[in-house]
Amino acid sequence: MSLDNLILLTGRTIDQGVALEGGKTTKENVRAAAICMFDTDDFKKLDTLVGTPVKIITDHGEVIVYSILSEEGPHPGIIFIPMGPWANQLVNPDSQSCGTPTYKGMKAKVEVVKSGKVLDALDLIKTLKEA
Amino acid sequence: MAVKKIKTIYDVLCPFCGTLCDDLEVDIADNKVVEVRNACQIGTKKFYSSNPNEHRYETPMIKKNGKLERASWEEAIDKAADILANAKRPLLYGFSSTECEAQSKGVELAEILGGVLDNTASVCHGPSLLAKQDVGQPGATLGEFKNRADLVIFWGSNPVHAHPRHLSRYSEFVRGYFRKDGRNDRYIVVVDPRNTHTAQIADLYIQVNPSEDYELLNAIRAVLRGVELDEKEVSGVSMEKIKELVNTMKTCSYGVIFFGMGLTQSLSHHRNIDAAICLTRELNDHTKFSIIPMRGHYNVAGANQVFTWNTGYAYSIDFSRGYARYNPGEFSSVEVLLKDQVDASLIVASDPASNFPAASVKNLFKHPLIVIDPHESPTTVYADIVLPAAIAGIEAEGTAYRMDNVPLRLRKVKDAPGECLTDKIILEKLIEKVKEKRGE
Repeated sequence: MSLDNLILLTGRTIDQGVALEGGKTTKENVRAAAICMFDTDDFKKLDTLVGTPVKIITDHGEVIVYSILSEEGPHPGIIFIPMGPWANQLVNPDSQSCGTPTYKGMKAKVEVVKSGKVLDALDLIKTLKEA
Repeated sequence: MAVKKIKTIYDVLCPFCGTLCDDLEVDIADNKVVEVRNACQIGTKKFYSSNPNEHRYETPMIKKNGKLERASWEEAIDKAADILANAKRPLLYGFSSTECEAQSKGVELAEILGGVLDNTASVCHGPSLLAKQDVGQPGATLGEFKNRADLVIFWGSNPVHAHPRHLSRYSEFVRGYFRKDGRNDRYIVVVDPRNTHTAQIADLYIQVNPSEDYELLNAIRAVLRGVELDEKEVSGVSMEKIKELVNTMKTCSYGVIFFGMGLTQSLSHHRNIDAAICLTRELNDHTKFSIIPMRGHYNVAGANQVFTWNTGYAYSIDFSRGYARYNPGEFSSVEVLLKDQVDASLIVASDPASNFPAASVKNLFKHPLIVIDPHESPTTVYADIVLPAAIAGIEAEGTAYRMDNVPLRLRKVKDAPGECLTDKIILEKLIEKVKEKRGE
């Protein structure tokens, strides 16, 4: 199943803040930041279980993260990924000449993935280093 | 078993977010943090993670045969200085999670090297600084808001998650001189596309469409001037709600807008802040109103101050022509990496590999990379040289600027483990070695 025409926002969550202070290369950081938060009604359309890995695709890249229901909804049409290496595979590097990339408001598409793994921070960055 | 002697240190500053809480109590035994009181979850974790652990670097590391291996300080500094002195245009980035004395050494090194100097404001509140340069900023210190504000607006910021103690220290629950009943004496408004945890405890939540804050801000300005807009809604917000908000703003005795990444990192960037500041200015025709950015890193405001004293500019500075030039759209770290315009990088107390867009990160790793950092991160793991630092504010003293630009003195509560040195000493060693290699 898949969902189109979503808007991706990224930003701080307290779990992600605690996890990064505890170690950026830890499993705790994966659990805190390699997640995508869905509006409850949007998630129903995906017809899958909470926690299933999903592939998020924007014009700037794609990444596989775990799905989770948002505690900060309802926000139909909006998905949220905590700031960090996973979110940054998807954000728009263009700053419209002001220097600051556009970390919020990308058009996104979501697919439920049957196979495919959520990478940890080091493996994910390794793919960029070797690209 | 012998009972360990516990030393308690009071009034400790928290080196995490821009709220810069200054009331922490930290218990130390055997040079280890054993208890932290008064801090939020994130601050507490930061203090505990200063204890020796598998993610902490205790000696300099140099990449040999594709793996980071332990090295002496002499070897590491020599090799790092070699890379920097031979680079045509190195990038010096980070600085927001260290103290001001180290930041000024960073400026000195960037000038000697003719490099690009930047701090983390370039990926967070850089647009706020641009807007401030455009139209000024009616602001005040956090104490004023605590004692006076009866209308508090959080626009595109979620302090419950990002500045966990801001609400209880300055803006929502705290009792102030003229706000004796704390939360009951304040009206809280949250403007955000998501019904955030901050919005869930607000009096008025305004759900704005993503990336449409600019339109909403200007609609509010129009209504404030008495213009009747021929629209049913703007940016997903009904005209009734806009009028209600304008009325609330006009009739409060002291209002404040705290704004965050929701405005700076969405499509209109600094134009959003321009509009928000102009709105604040216009509100001062009716009542007293201020606006202030919710700064992220505990000393990013300090980095802007120190860079400005030394170069005239707050961030994204290029020294490649021998004098300071400023143009964030051209010299911000993300831009110079994206266009592959630097040939080496020195990262101080930051993790750009995690926090920059993927396209910029790819180019970061194409050239030699030196990192000064206490902890393992995706940036340090793939770096060529790692110089282990004492954590400023925990293992080193120094000055830091709170989000309202009030300087406070960071405390040292314990010694750094292993061979760690302070950021300032490491940068001084690099400056000395670079000068030596250049025959100065």
